Amino acid sequence: MQCRTVLTRIDALRTRELAPIEKTAVEQHLRTCRSCDVSQSDVGQLAQAVKSLTLVPPVSCREGCKDAVADSYDRVGDVWVAFSNGRIRMIAEADSIDEVRQSYAKKHGRVLEHATIPDALRRQVLAAQRGEGVDAPKVDLDAANDLEHDVLQTLTRIPRGEVRTYAWVARQVGRPRAVRAVANVIARNPVPYVVPCHRVVPSSGGIGNYIFGSPTKRALLEREGVDVDQLDALAKEHVRYIGSRTTHIFCFPTCRDAKRIQEKNRVPFRDSDDALENGYRPCRHCQPVAA
Amino acid sequence: MKNSWTGGEVASEPDRREGGELAVAVHRCEPGAFERLIDRFEQPLFTYAHNILDNAFDAQEVVQDAMMRAHRALTRQYDEARCAALALKPWLFKTVRNLSLNKRRSKRSTLEQPLESFDDGRLGPFVSLEGSDLERKEEVELLRRAMALLPVDARELIVLRFMEEMSYAEIAKTVGSTEAALRGKVFRSLKLLRDALEKRPATKGVAYAM
Repeated sequence: MQCRTVLTRIDALRTRELAPIEKTAVEQHLRTCRSCDVSQSDVGQLAQAVKSLTLVPPVSCREGCKDAVADSYDRVGDVWVAFSNGRIRMIAEADSIDEVRQSYAKKHGRVLEHATIPDALRRQVLAAQRGEGVDAPKVDLDAANDLEHDVLQTLTRIPRGEVRTYAWVARQVGRPRAVRAVANVIARNPVPYVVPCHRVVPSSGGIGNYIFGSPTKRALLEREGVDVDQLDALAKEHVRYIGSRTTHIFCFPTCRDAKRIQEKNRVPFRDSDDALENGYRPCRHCQPVAA
Repeated sequence: MKNSWTGGEVASEPDRREGGELAVAVHRCEPGAFERLIDRFEQPLFTYAHNILDNAFDAQEVVQDAMMRAHRALTRQYDEARCAALALKPWLFKTVRNLSLNKRRSKRSTLEQPLESFDDGRLGPFVSLEGSDLERKEEVELLRRAMALLPVDARELIVLRFMEEMSYAEIAKTVGSTEAALRGKVFRSLKLLRDALEKRPATKGVAYAM
């Protein structure tokens, strides 16, 4: 082996990174070559000396990174609420915060640390749970994709005390055929209660499923003033819309206009075509069919 | 970049396992995992960035940026298997390297920074001195000056190889070269440092171009 070949391998020899054949050759050369042997000890010394040049950052970046990696959580009533920058990011029911942490990590890739929730947010969550409705929910939907964003926005426009169907939401977001996809988005609503996903029911009648179970949905709707028993009764008759004999307008049964129709003027419809053929037009408020 | 001639990456194996576990912990957002990552790597990364950038503020900015990018990648982009297989150390250093070189490039076009500006010890970073005796302090100061005279690519190799004690395989991953080429480069960098220490002009006949 030539000196220059050996010199470039001295350092690798030092850390045992040479293949056995190379190692033997280099060691053999070092035994016979005085100048290379001197270089070897010099390399070792320099390598040691350089270690003292370590620099320490004046300030750790822990604080600077914190906002990007951690959000806060608090317990409100019987739910966990994750929030950041004065906006709610997730509401979850779970036995322990660890479960919430896991799903939060999966969804947002962030850690949750305990902090006291701002009063405004606490009030919103409690009001929503009591069925009082929330006008301008302070929620953070940054992580949502376009469809999720549109769907959740649409949900906030369903008035308290009324319900709409999944098909209606799909139509409102301009994806009338994507009812399934829209229903999935609603089912995964990160901020239940506050964004009222409980106000969406199946077209076929009944009140459908809910993140926290159907009974919870039922109770919540009743607190909001929805006549759930009436909905059930109508579903049994397969009635989906209510028309008014005087105005010739038909609505969803829970629409505030439908509720005003006097008993003698109420006309039940099983489907919208039926209503349209009879000369009824859809209500402009609840928009039972596409305008 | 495994060289069949030099054999395996013996020295890097334990490090890689440690890195993989930490990466998975960060991926799962385990409380404190990211802080562990920062504690473990911030100082080495800062030293590295500082040696490329010659500036404490820029180095700090780069390290923080790299940490945030790492966090985003580990939590949002990489799945768990990829995190587990990740050689965390070279990966982080590579991120810092790319960011530092980008910053250096954009800075150089606007403001020519002379090498003398390296001496910004008052701005914050300081050489950590274990023995506080004057002689040793002086020695370190000499070494620091000598380092400042080296070209950036020599400096970064010295940092990676001798301060971080990375294996050649890890350095190859970090700077994007081969182990064989690196052996030559590392030796030449060390030789440049020795020349600078002795304040004699670079020995002729040795190829310094790297």
